[in-house]
This record gives sequence, C-alpha cells and structure tokens, in this order.
Amino acid sequence: MSAKQKVLVSHGAVVCDECEIVGDVTIGARSVIHPKARIIADDGPIIIGENNIIEELVTIINRNPAGTDANTQQVMIVGNNNVFEVGCYVEATKIGDHNVVEAKAKVGRQVGLTTGCIIGSMCSLTSNEILPENTVIYGEECERRVQRERPPTQNLQIDFLTKILPNYHYIKKTKSSTPQRT
Amino acid sequence: MTNQTQTSQVDTPYCPNCLEHMPSTEAKLKKNRCSNCFDCPSCGHTMTTRATSQVVTNPDDPSKTTSKKVYYLACGFCRWTTRDVSITDKPQASGCWEALENPDSKRIFSLLETYQQLAQREKTEKERKKYVRRRSYLNYAASMDKYGLTSVAAKKKASVGSSMSTLKENEEAVIKTFSPSEAVVDFDPLTDDFFTKPVLLDKIASIGQRLASPEFQPEEAESLHPRHKHLLIRRSLRCKECEHNLSKPEFNPVSIKFKIQLIALLHVPEIRMFSPTELKHKKECKIVLSVCNPAGYNTTVSLLPVKEQDDYSNSKVELPKQEVTISSRDDAAIYDDGSQGQEVFKDDPSIVKFRRDNKIGLIIKVTPGILEGDIKVSFWLKHDYRNTAIALPSEGQDPQTLWLQHRVLLNIGPLRDAKG
Repeated sequence: MSAKQKVLVSHGAVVCDECEIVGDVTIGARSVIHPKARIIADDGPIIIGENNIIEELVTIINRNPAGTDANTQQVMIVGNNNVFEVGCYVEATKIGDHNVVEAKAKVGRQVGLTTGCIIGSMCSLTSNEILPENTVIYGEECERRVQRERPPTQNLQIDFLTKILPNYHYIKKTKSSTPQRT
Repeated sequence: MTNQTQTSQVDTPYCPNCLEHMPSTEAKLKKNRCSNCFDCPSCGHTMTTRATSQVVTNPDDPSKTTSKKVYYLACGFCRWTTRDVSITDKPQASGCWEALENPDSKRIFSLLETYQQLAQREKTEKERKKYVRRRSYLNYAASMDKYGLTSVAAKKKASVGSSMSTLKENEEAVIKTFSPSEAVVDFDPLTDDFFTKPVLLDKIASIGQRLASPEFQPEEAESLHPRHKHLLIRRSLRCKECEHNLSKPEFNPVSIKFKIQLIALLHVPEIRMFSPTELKHKKECKIVLSVCNPAGYNTTVSLLPVKEQDDYSNSKVELPKQEVTISSRDDAAIYDDGSQGQEVFKDDPSIVKFRRDNKIGLIIKVTPGILEGDIKVSFWLKHDYRNTAIALPSEGQDPQTLWLQHRVLLNIGPLRDAKG
C-alpha cells in the first residue's frame, strides 16, 4: 500500500470534505467532487484533470488486479470535462476528455476511454480494449453505437455546483501539498 | 373477475406519450401512429425534442447575425439524435417532421384497389344469384299481373342491371391495369468487398432496428429515421351477462372508478401479513396481520376460530377474543398531518400492534405444528356490513346492518429464524 498521503487540489476545484480520498491524488482546476465520492490511489497516483464532475458514491480506484506484483505502480489519468454519475465504479487507467460514465456503470481496469465516450447506466465493461471516439454503450445488452457529436460540456452545471456545494458542505482547502487528514 | 365473465371493448386509441385521443377512423388513416410523438430508431425509447440556438446571418445585412431557435429530436437512452443521420434541424418544435414515403406505397394502393374491386364483383355476383332465383316467380307474376307488382320489380331489375354494368366497366379498367408481382429469379453476386472488407458493426443497423420499420428496413445506421409512435387502445370492461359497464376509462387515469360499486374489494376488510416474524416448531409465535377497512363507515371486526372440519390448517392458532373497531376510510387522510380529527380508540396492546387511519395491526398467535412445509392456519373473519346504497340518509332510518363471515386461509410459509 502506498505510504504517502498526498492530495493536491488545484485552485477553483470544489472538493467536499466528506469524500474519501486516499493516496496520491491530484485534482485539476474547476473539478467538482461531491460528498461520499471515493478516490482511492492504492497502486499508483491518480491525476484528475479540469472541469470534471464526480458525483456521490462514485468510486475511482487505482488498484492492480489480484495476483499482480505488489510493487507494480501505474498512473491513472483522467482527462478534462468528464462526468462520473452517481454510483459508478471506474478502474480504468486511461480516461480521455468529454466522457460520461452514467449512474451505476462499471468501467474495468483494461478499458481505455478516448474522447466523448458514454457508458450507459448499469453497463459493466470489463473487456481489454480502447473504445473509439464517441462510442455510446447502452442498455441491458451493452449495445454499442458511434455518435456523431460528443456529449456537450457541463459548464453550467459546474458553475452551479461550485456556487451551491460550499453552502451546505465543508470544502477541502485548495493548493495544499501537506498531508491531509481524511 | 375473469375473462369468462367480462368483455373488453375498444374505447378509443390514444398515444401513450402525449395521451392524445384519436377517433378510430382517424387512427386508421394515420396507420395507428401518433403524428407528434416519435420512437428512437436505434433503441425504441421515446424521443424528446431539444432546442438549441443557431447563428444565422441576416440576409439584408451580412455583418449582423441573429440567433434562431432550432429543434431536433434526441433519445435520452442511447443518445441517438436526428443530427446523427444528417436530418436538418427544424424551426418548429413539432409538426414538421415529415415521414418518409413508403417506396412500395403505389403497389400497395393498386393491390388494395384491385382487391376492393374483386370483393365488389363477388358481392354483385351473389346478388345476381338471389335475383336469378326469384325470376321464375316474377315471370309467373308478370304473366298474370294481378297486383301491379311487375312494374316495380322491373324497375328494380333495371336499376340493378345498370349499376352492374357501370361497375363492370370500372372493374375491368382496374383489373386490367393491375399487374401481378414477378418473382425474383436470380440475384447479383455479392461484391468482393463483402468478403474482404472488415465489418464495421457501428455503421450497420441491427436486425431489430431493421425490422422495427418494415417498410424501409434500413441496412445502414446512417439511414435510420425516427418512427412515429404506435397508438395504444383504451379499453372499457363490460359484463357479459348483464351488459353493464364495469369500468370506463376517463381522461384522467386517477378518476377511473368501477361503475358498479358492488365488488367485495370495496366492502370486505382486507387482510395482509404485516411483516415476517420468527417461526419455531411447537412454540407460540406472534404474527401481525394488517386489517384495512375499505368502507366509508367504522367497521367492527372479530376473528373467530374454525369449529367444523378443517382440512386446511396444520397448526394451532390463538385469535384475539375481543372485537375491534376499524375507523372508516378517508380518501383525504393522506393529506392530513394526522394530528386532528382522529377518533381515539382504547386498544389492548396485547392484540393491537398499531393503528393508523383505516388500518390496524392485529396480533394472532400461531404455534407451528409441523417441521417441514408451509405453516397454514384458518379462521373466520366476521365484520358488520351496512348497506348504505339502499337506505337513504335523508329518510332518517338506520341503514340495514348485516353481519358477514368469511373464511380466511392463511399460508404463513415455512419455519424460520428471527433473522430470516
């Protein structure tokens, strides 16, 4: 397990104090992390880009699959403008920009999300592949199609959340490189 | 009620999305589809209209731009939009999504017309047969023209004959233009691309998507087109025996009521198992039954043991000895905060677990008598019933009160621990 406990929150990001952040995690500007979200960097750091929304009960976890060497470290990178909806579970290490992981969806370790991909509610994706741009996965059978346009950015929602969340929740201080109490 | 005692009748077709009603003739013209609502061709979910603004340059002054509202259809489930297949955005929210023309509509119309003519011809032939049978009599009558009927008959004959002859011309014309369909004998061989190029699954429509619009059966995902939503049928129920209406749909689903208020559901208290409890062999266990009074008056309920031969129960049951009163049903009760207007009942906590509005929790004690299988008990439910329909309150007489008894068979399920 990673001994260092370093959470870096960039200026402008809103990270609620009730969320659980473990290990070496960097959160980019204007990203919003709701209470009760879990970001766990067990086997390598997690770097989250800008303008992301991470909703309640989301688990973003950097953990090696069982049976791998304990010393293997892998960096998990999440790009910009992604939305992780309530209760989704993400293990993937390569996540690009403008993706949406809908409620209760699961994205496995070997999956790579490029740009504009949508993983529908309750879809579980554990294959070893890199999804082409603008792929939409939906429905009980995880049907696929490719969309022409990527999903729109959630700037209005981010503005709203940045305004509203501090009224009701304690917010983690930004630009802190000292060890955080979690 | 079963299907043997009731018939369902078509009331009116309606759209399940916009709930608009349509007379059945209009629905038939529109092929039983709603003109305003659409289904997603990709997943079948209902499509929603989205509005965006588009920047348009002013034709008079190119340096100025104005924003215009445009609309497109989008599916909230698979995120398919009309923009995906290059359908241009529309300036109005509804009404301008033109349907594609069925490529076979001409052929279908000519078939329809021909078969209509054929049906007509058969009909006239039948009539002619009837007429032929009568002629002998007419000839006979004509010979003796006693009643002056022949002239009437002759007129009739003439009119029938003339209508037949005009029909014939018409029919000949239609049937002549009609050409029977030709069977396809050979196909062009598949191109090499079919075998050599990799299949791009996201460019091809699935079988389900193709068959959802049987008139076009698009092969490529690019040629999918939003489908008009199918109408559903509102039904009314009618008794087969007395032909009374049992239920008739209203515009607001909440206001649909049974037309005949004589169903047991509206008079007999409803008994349910309240929550699972511990059940142990040869041990007295408390079971809470919720009893709900559906009537508009306070009902007195008592549970009585079964004295006669009982083949159903396999365990001992101890029932509450006293009668309990359950307050009347009040449709508005859910809107009250429960603080006022409630009658106060003095309940024995050993038999009444809880009391809320027109519902109480009655405690019965069951001693399971078997080790395996479902534990079953039975008892009589006795309650008073007032026939409020007959006695008018204005006449000042007390409504007739009856005591009714119903046999209740209760299957409590197998033995279980406190946790289960």
